[in-house]
Amino acid sequence: MIQMHAFYVFLAVAGFLVLIFIYVALSTRRAREINYHAAYSLRKKFFFVLLVVLLFGLGMTLGKTPYPKANDLPDKVVFVVGKQFAFGISDAPITNDQEYEATTYAAPVQLPLGSLVEFRVTSFDVNHGFGVYSPDGRLIAQTQAMPGYVNRLRVRFTEPGKYNVLCLELCGMGHHRMRGVFEVK
Amino acid sequence: MQANSIALPMTEPRLWTEAEMAKLRRWTLIWGVTVLILLPILASLGYFMRMFQSSFFPTVRAEWFYAVLTLHSLGMVGTWYVGSMAGVSYLLSKYTRPSLAVSKINYWGTLLGVVLLVACTLGGLFGTGWYFLYPLPLYSQGVWAPWATLTFFIALAILGVCWTIWTLDLLRAIAKRYSLSAALGLHYLVGKSEPEVPPIVLISTVSLVVGVAGFVAAVIVIALFGARALGVNVDPLLMKNLTFFFGHILVNITMYLGVGMVYELLPTYAGRPWKTNRVVAIAWDCALFLILFAYFHHLYMDFAQPKWVQIFGQICSYFLSVPAGVVSIFGCLALVYASKMKWTLASTLLFLGIMGWGVGGIAAVIDSTVEVNFHFHNTLWVPAHFHTYYLMGVVLIILGFIDHVGKELSGLQERPAFSKLTVALLVLGGYGFLSMFYWAGAHSVPRRYAIYPHEVAQGTLYARIAFGFITVLLCGILLFLWETGKRCIKAFSAC
Repeated sequence: MIQMHAFYVFLAVAGFLVLIFIYVALSTRRAREINYHAAYSLRKKFFFVLLVVLLFGLGMTLGKTPYPKANDLPDKVVFVVGKQFAFGISDAPITNDQEYEATTYAAPVQLPLGSLVEFRVTSFDVNHGFGVYSPDGRLIAQTQAMPGYVNRLRVRFTEPGKYNVLCLELCGMGHHRMRGVFEVK
Repeated sequence: MQANSIALPMTEPRLWTEAEMAKLRRWTLIWGVTVLILLPILASLGYFMRMFQSSFFPTVRAEWFYAVLTLHSLGMVGTWYVGSMAGVSYLLSKYTRPSLAVSKINYWGTLLGVVLLVACTLGGLFGTGWYFLYPLPLYSQGVWAPWATLTFFIALAILGVCWTIWTLDLLRAIAKRYSLSAALGLHYLVGKSEPEVPPIVLISTVSLVVGVAGFVAAVIVIALFGARALGVNVDPLLMKNLTFFFGHILVNITMYLGVGMVYELLPTYAGRPWKTNRVVAIAWDCALFLILFAYFHHLYMDFAQPKWVQIFGQICSYFLSVPAGVVSIFGCLALVYASKMKWTLASTLLFLGIMGWGVGGIAAVIDSTVEVNFHFHNTLWVPAHFHTYYLMGVVLIILGFIDHVGKELSGLQERPAFSKLTVALLVLGGYGFLSMFYWAGAHSVPRRYAIYPHEVAQGTLYARIAFGFITVLLCGILLFLWETGKRCIKAFSAC
């Protein structure tokens, strides 16, 4: 789970930094002159280490962005409209308020297990956040639902079950109630 | 902790008369005391929000949560911005002559803006969050009235005009003594060390130049909202870019101005110099460039943005950590290491503030990875990292500055036991409170939810634990206010 990996990386690095601050604070109990050349040399090493870490991080992650790849065609397209305060999710395009209303009362869309699904996400009013939660409550994918734009989110579902959609952009008084749902079988 | 007397900035006689200096000190104290009054009020709003999320107020309508959220976040961002500006103005007075009249106008303008913000949020339930993302203010669903929206934008316009004038005035004051290239330390890049430019001048110049760009973006946003009200179609993606450009810059320059204050003050406690040199100049000039583009990381989940922009955003966000880490944080550690450090309440808070900046920065860099942001965006990880470098970063720095000034002007020394207790409560309460944000973010709990639905019901438990830590934090804040407030009030009679 990427969230927990990120959390532990944060804990390790931040913890190391805090230890350095504690060490430096304690060092003032025994004041003495420091060797500035040694300090500059240490800074130079720190600079190169940080540079390598950052370049490694960029190299490892920039190829894994969630943006659609041209040669990766979806098996199924799903249309999503956000509107205060529900997501309309449908197999067919949603072009007006009536169609949107109908989708919010319709049975959940069924998606085939293992297939690459493209969600075409937009909004009929304000910005919303289309956040897909797995059956065990993990945020597995998201994109913004923005008026005037269609964001294409591609997800390959490997677990069957009921997926909830929560709004992840403050959209008004009913923000925390805003919902959508679909099933993967 | 030792109570020590630290010299105030030695003002050059030709820059200020004694009467002017007295006025400057008085206005700095007025700003400081105002910040000290606003801090517990705005912190209490945050306390209310975590209680709301703990389901302690089941009969209160959710609209109140979002209105309080808006006031808390705007109030905090504004308070620490003016706090850092007031602090930097005071410290820059050693080298330049910021206008006292501009400071006064800003004070009254800021107060008027705050009154209007209170009216539209607590009076009108305006609840869009602090970045009022277009076009939400125009879609109230009947919760807030048009007068509340209008009042909100009038408040923003007043604050924007005042703060822009203040920013320009500080740049004017710097320009009276230093050319732009000198103030940016460009001569250090080619190996010259004359004229000597104090780090606070360099950092302020970088921050203020970027700040002007941010304020211009804010003006355009407000104008485009006005155009939309007149029926003109406005591009939501453009509005989002402008809003986050402004918001990201405002928050970052507040932090940078705070760091500038540390460059100026901490050497007086450590007994060692901290001067501008080639590396420091390169670092801050790089920051000037990188900060303009790092804001793209706020729009990673807007897939309509060109992909190269998103990648460029991640690269800029990553490399922004180099000047911060290698130069400022390392420099702070080298300054203090094995020095004859005078550990007072002020110096401890300044030191801890830099540490908080570093800790929050690490979390921010992690979140600025597109792949990670895909799972963290708008979860509680986001308030986790920005509260870290705000609450445990620039807030501690500004509190340290206020304590420094209050002690010097009043002559009242601190009580070491109270200082130790204050620091312990602030650190335990602050980091404990933040830990629940991080943990909740790692467990997919969304930010800005008045009530947690069953899918993320664990958020309620985390909010309750956070509530306990905030109680500890508030005790630390109140103790700080009691001790430092006394010194500040006595200081008024001394100037």
